[in-house]
Amino acid sequence: MTKCALCGYEFEEKELACHSKCPMSEGCAIICCPNCGFQEVDESKSEVAVLIRRTWQAITQWHQPAQEKTR
Amino acid sequence: MHCHGQNPADTPGGRPVILIGNPNVGKSAIFGALSGRYVEVSNYPGTTVELARGKVAIDGTETTLIDTPGVASLLPRSDDERVARDVLLNGSPWAVVQVADAKNLRRALLLTFQLAEQEVPFVLDLNMADEAEALGIRVNAERLAQILGADVVKTVATRGEGIAQLRALLASPRPVTYRIRYDGAIEEAVARIVELLPDTLSGRRALALTWLAGEMLQGTSRLPGAAADGNAGECIRAIVAEAAAKYAEPLGYVINRQRLKCADCLVAEVWSAPAKRRERWAEKLGRLAIHPIWGWPILALALVGLYQFVGRFGAGVLVNWMEQTLFGQYVNPFALRLAQLIPFELARELLVGKYGLITMALSYGIAIVLPIVFTFFLAFSLLEDSGYLPRLAVMANRPFKAMGLNGKAVLPMVLGLGCDTMATLTTRILETRKERVQVTLLLALGVPCSAQLGVLLGMMAFLSWQAVLVWLGVVVATLFGVGWLAARLLPGRSSDFILELPPIRLPQLGNVVVKTLARLEWYLKEVLPLFVLGTAVLFALDKAGALAWLERLGSPVVVGLLGLPPETAGVFLIGFLRRDFGAAGLFTLARAGQLDHTQMVVSLVVITLFIPCIANLLMIAREHGRRTAFWVAAFVFPFAFGVGGVLNLVLRALRMGF
Repeated sequence: MTKCALCGYEFEEKELACHSKCPMSEGCAIICCPNCGFQEVDESKSEVAVLIRRTWQAITQWHQPAQEKTR
Repeated sequence: MHCHGQNPADTPGGRPVILIGNPNVGKSAIFGALSGRYVEVSNYPGTTVELARGKVAIDGTETTLIDTPGVASLLPRSDDERVARDVLLNGSPWAVVQVADAKNLRRALLLTFQLAEQEVPFVLDLNMADEAEALGIRVNAERLAQILGADVVKTVATRGEGIAQLRALLASPRPVTYRIRYDGAIEEAVARIVELLPDTLSGRRALALTWLAGEMLQGTSRLPGAAADGNAGECIRAIVAEAAAKYAEPLGYVINRQRLKCADCLVAEVWSAPAKRRERWAEKLGRLAIHPIWGWPILALALVGLYQFVGRFGAGVLVNWMEQTLFGQYVNPFALRLAQLIPFELARELLVGKYGLITMALSYGIAIVLPIVFTFFLAFSLLEDSGYLPRLAVMANRPFKAMGLNGKAVLPMVLGLGCDTMATLTTRILETRKERVQVTLLLALGVPCSAQLGVLLGMMAFLSWQAVLVWLGVVVATLFGVGWLAARLLPGRSSDFILELPPIRLPQLGNVVVKTLARLEWYLKEVLPLFVLGTAVLFALDKAGALAWLERLGSPVVVGLLGLPPETAGVFLIGFLRRDFGAAGLFTLARAGQLDHTQMVVSLVVITLFIPCIANLLMIAREHGRRTAFWVAAFVFPFAFGVGGVLNLVLRALRMGF
């Protein structure tokens, strides 16, 4: 579930209208709230967002054992 | 196929249970918990609004359960709300279950009062009771039931809690006995209207209030039998007009205000929440941001900050480094050396010539526009994550109302600052085709999207504040002029603007970084290829000798009317693809000292009034048809040049050189 930053509406991707309507929607990682149209980033479709998430996970996983060793 | 007047034979008495409630209160979860797995989804007749139907067992007997779209009021402002209202009024329900968010009882009660006036058998379901409890919110459901005179139950639909109790209450639903006593003039009007209606008609008080609140035309079409035959319609109109004359504000507003007052009284008696000490500063800032006076300095502060960050830092420091150091010392010299290895002159020029893919497309797209949009996206993400943008919509609502635009038109206009193409899609929330076309035209005419606004802000770094004011004044005046004229040509009742405001908060670093980088990813994937395409078109036109011909052809307009150098014809040509690409061309000319300040202001005004991008034009064609898209383009482009021409003449006549 995604919560719109503009109107607070909670929605799922299947409710999106602009992805199927926008003539340049192929590969578009911008999602629009079906209630008010406000745009946000669909992190599951953004390669950069995925890269950041994986990097962050890797850092935290690396950091945790390091902390355990110091204990 | 389902018809709203139909009574399915497989339900006892053919009377359904209807779920109704505000958006995001967990209606679908309640529907799932009551109906089990079987769900049939079909469009409401004559609309694209979907209704889910299932079965619910009441005392061992199955009956139809209908889930309606989320509504804020029974006075409809959208197709969704109209369908929910019609299902309720025409469905002869066995019971109406209002699903409410226990955390936001005030909003729910506004709907409860309207359902009470409909005199329908009723149960109030305070859903999300666990979330309310986690926030320390206490709701005295017993006391609320006592005041309303109807059953109230707390549920947590996602865990199935309270569902058995709700199902049990559905066996004997009863209408709410609580009634709001409105102002004397309104009560008198209601009583006079009710007298004109047949005794057999249920919900007469609600119907009278609906008419008084402003839905006269739609409402009177529902006048039954004898009332419709006689002069009842005319009499009712006269009573409504008489009551309306007693108030300075619209009757709908007055009625709603009195309902809010009653909701506040009830909330004070049955609902309590712990004081939010940590959020006090945020609440105060959030309130000031939409204040009729203090809201404007806060908006000005946000804009100045945006200009300093994007215009000074992005377009100044970052662009200088990217263009002079990265591209000037490394990328371009390396590309030139690499191009020497290519034996074909034409291919060399395509890469590193005047209209080369590296020296122009990548130089514009990466060295100039990228640093600017990066800083703008970062600032935009900060504003978005802080919760300020919805408040900007509230502030914008005031001047738009003065312009005569429908209140709902504000949202697409503010959203256009993010993406005009998507905002064009959201014009669907407007009620009539005329309104949709009107807002689409204004979006295409003068609302720059985030990437374009970034480049325009970058251009302003070259200008004095007086020149920036002239640009802003002309664009805003044009928007207001066209909007005002369109509103006069397209008369209609303006609707209310209701927006749920999220709290102001400190932006979260993780959110801001991910959003900024993902938007940059979008820019590189969608916008940069268009830059390459535009450059390739210019290269082909140049080689075919057509560019010089176009420059000569455009000379009377570009040089004669706008007072710009002939090279700007090529800039406007690529501006047809994307406004920011054209603006980047102007940026380069300005940095090279080929434009004086008057020329910069004139060219900025023209490019700002252009249609945002080719995708936007395609979206207009898809949403409103090719003919409308053609007329919008046929209006916008000559109009942009016309406004630029008039501005040039005025600035030259007044000898304003900034």
